[in-house]
Amino acid sequence: MLKATDLTKTYNGVAALDRLNLEVAPGDVFCLLGANGAGKTTTINLFLNFIEPSGGTAQVNGLDVTRQPLETKRWLAYIPEQVMLYRHLTGLENLDYFTALSGTDHYPPDQLRAFFKQVGLQDGVADQRVSTYSKGMRQKVGIAIALAKQAKALLLDEPTSGLDPKASNEFSRLLQRLSGEGVAVLMATHDLFRAKESGTRVGIMNQGQLKQTLTTAEIGHADLERIYLEQMHD
Amino acid sequence: MLGRIIRHEWTNLAADRTVWVLAGLMALISLYGVYNGATWSAFQRENIAMALDEERDRLAGHRAFVESGQEPASRFRNPLSPDSVGGSMGRRYAYLPPAPLAPLSVGQSDLYPYYFQVSTNSKQSFLNTHELENPSNLLSGRFDLAFVVVYLLPLLILALSYDLLSSEREQGTMAMLLSQPLPLWTLALGKIALRALVVLALALGFSLAGYTAAGGALASMDALLLWMAVVAAYSLLWFGLAVAANALGKGSATNAMLLAGIWLVVVVITPAAVNLVVTTSYPIPSRVELVQALRTATEDANARSAEVLSQYYTDHPEYLPEGEQPDPNDFTLRSYAVREDVERAMAPVLERYDGQLLRQQTLVNRLKWLSPAVVAQEALNDIAGTGLARYQHFLGVVDRYHDELRSYFIPKVSARATMTTADYDAIPVFEYQEESFGEILGRVSAGIVGLALPMLLAFGVGARILRSYPVVG
Repeated sequence: MLKATDLTKTYNGVAALDRLNLEVAPGDVFCLLGANGAGKTTTINLFLNFIEPSGGTAQVNGLDVTRQPLETKRWLAYIPEQVMLYRHLTGLENLDYFTALSGTDHYPPDQLRAFFKQVGLQDGVADQRVSTYSKGMRQKVGIAIALAKQAKALLLDEPTSGLDPKASNEFSRLLQRLSGEGVAVLMATHDLFRAKESGTRVGIMNQGQLKQTLTTAEIGHADLERIYLEQMHD
Repeated sequence: MLGRIIRHEWTNLAADRTVWVLAGLMALISLYGVYNGATWSAFQRENIAMALDEERDRLAGHRAFVESGQEPASRFRNPLSPDSVGGSMGRRYAYLPPAPLAPLSVGQSDLYPYYFQVSTNSKQSFLNTHELENPSNLLSGRFDLAFVVVYLLPLLILALSYDLLSSEREQGTMAMLLSQPLPLWTLALGKIALRALVVLALALGFSLAGYTAAGGALASMDALLLWMAVVAAYSLLWFGLAVAANALGKGSATNAMLLAGIWLVVVVITPAAVNLVVTTSYPIPSRVELVQALRTATEDANARSAEVLSQYYTDHPEYLPEGEQPDPNDFTLRSYAVREDVERAMAPVLERYDGQLLRQQTLVNRLKWLSPAVVAQEALNDIAGTGLARYQHFLGVVDRYHDELRSYFIPKVSARATMTTADYDAIPVFEYQEESFGEILGRVSAGIVGLALPMLLAFGVGARILRSYPVVG
């Protein structure tokens, strides 16, 4: 579903991302690990066509994101570190707007409310202004937008940083449910524990390069941390 | 999708209280502007009516005197003498009535006299208030609706759209929006379209309201439509500039500074600079020189009065009563001869003035395209009938009327005729012939094109820069 081939991004000769090759199949949850500046966010921004690659290609569902940016975005959903919404609108109005822009068919209000329920937001929350929402609630609205859009691939950029453990846990369960429904997930994160828990694979990045890819089922928490720290030493 | 964005933007805008405050403020100052303009045109109309009343009573009085058959008390104020009547007692008013849309733009109509007392005297005697200042002085003027449109409306537009895209970026919603299959251009267009709808509804609504409030007739609806077209083109130009500034991807504060700078250059600095260039390129000769030349010419003509008179008879054989020899001591006709001689001598001097004014105006017409504000102001003045072109047209009509009056009285003077009641009834009456709408349309259309081209350019450049818009970073 998501495929990077020799994907490279340089800024003034410095490689922010160096020949990344990676594939995320439907149902896969691929977690990108690495320090700040390792190239995780750059990878996600390249898939979203927010920045132009300096080399290589990023593909969504077989389509090059630079050539068909609008078509590829039909399949994509994006959840940044902070899901930012229109503060003076209610959650429901926000969901309605972003869903309308996603090009999917128009949902009646009842169905939009159902998405709120699916992501675990209480009744009544949908009709409150977003300015009253906590971060965890906004991240869930982000998931609701992805659900309503029927996204085939999810790009997440440190979506759980700053969430309390319970909210973080709820969020990870939602991700697992989505991957269970065949959504390909690419998530940048600092949270090794969460990556091991909810990811199917992890990739460790350093200085723009993908150093190592592991299957989470095959390693323990302690191993993952050890390998991660080893890679950071380079 | 565009419709959805527009609807969303309306919700956003409506939730912003400052927008309502701005709109209310705009309504107040627009109405104040229309009130000012309406007061000025009403004042003009009133004065013209008073002048015509005075003229009617005066002529009726003289006519009644003629009818009564009394002997005149003075030789110089004699209602029976065509010289006295034509020269002063029977002077008539030539006036420029305010056009239907005059309440919307005072323009230069408060700089120039809008009525003259026309007699057989020389033109200089009634045109003595001739404005010798640069006619392109577009920066002055009353607080009228045109001022609101040209100077303040851009500020409202910029206040609504300086952060068109930068605000989305700063509040983090831009990335959320552009992760949808939504072209950035569509987003920008939707956002600008709603704002343009709101601003145009306000501006056009106020124009219409002001026009109706000022007693505008529906008959001059075409002028009102033309007015609205200019307002729309000028407004859209500012929206285009806001889009182009936002496309650069800088922060809201930078956009605000940049756009305020553009406003300053377009609305304040360029018109002032054009003015400066024009007045220094073609300075108007000193007025003292003009007065001096007039004096010299008069003295000279008086000194040669005998020769001047004989020349006058040669030029106008029809004025010599049949079978009579020219009388070199005919004091009355000699004064007409001297007048004509002075006018002839003054012609080249006046030509230098008028020529210089014409050169100034030509240069203004060429340089005005540098500032859309000047183009808009001129177009609005043209539509309101308060611009220079209509005034020059008026001066032409006055000129012809002056000639008409002279041709009526001078033969009577030379024939030493006596004014009868029938002669009084036949004194030519001034009638203002309005410019044709086609002429106004031609000038204003050029202005609209002069606004539409930079508007398209701004949108085009904006669309071009938008392609490399930095969504992140």
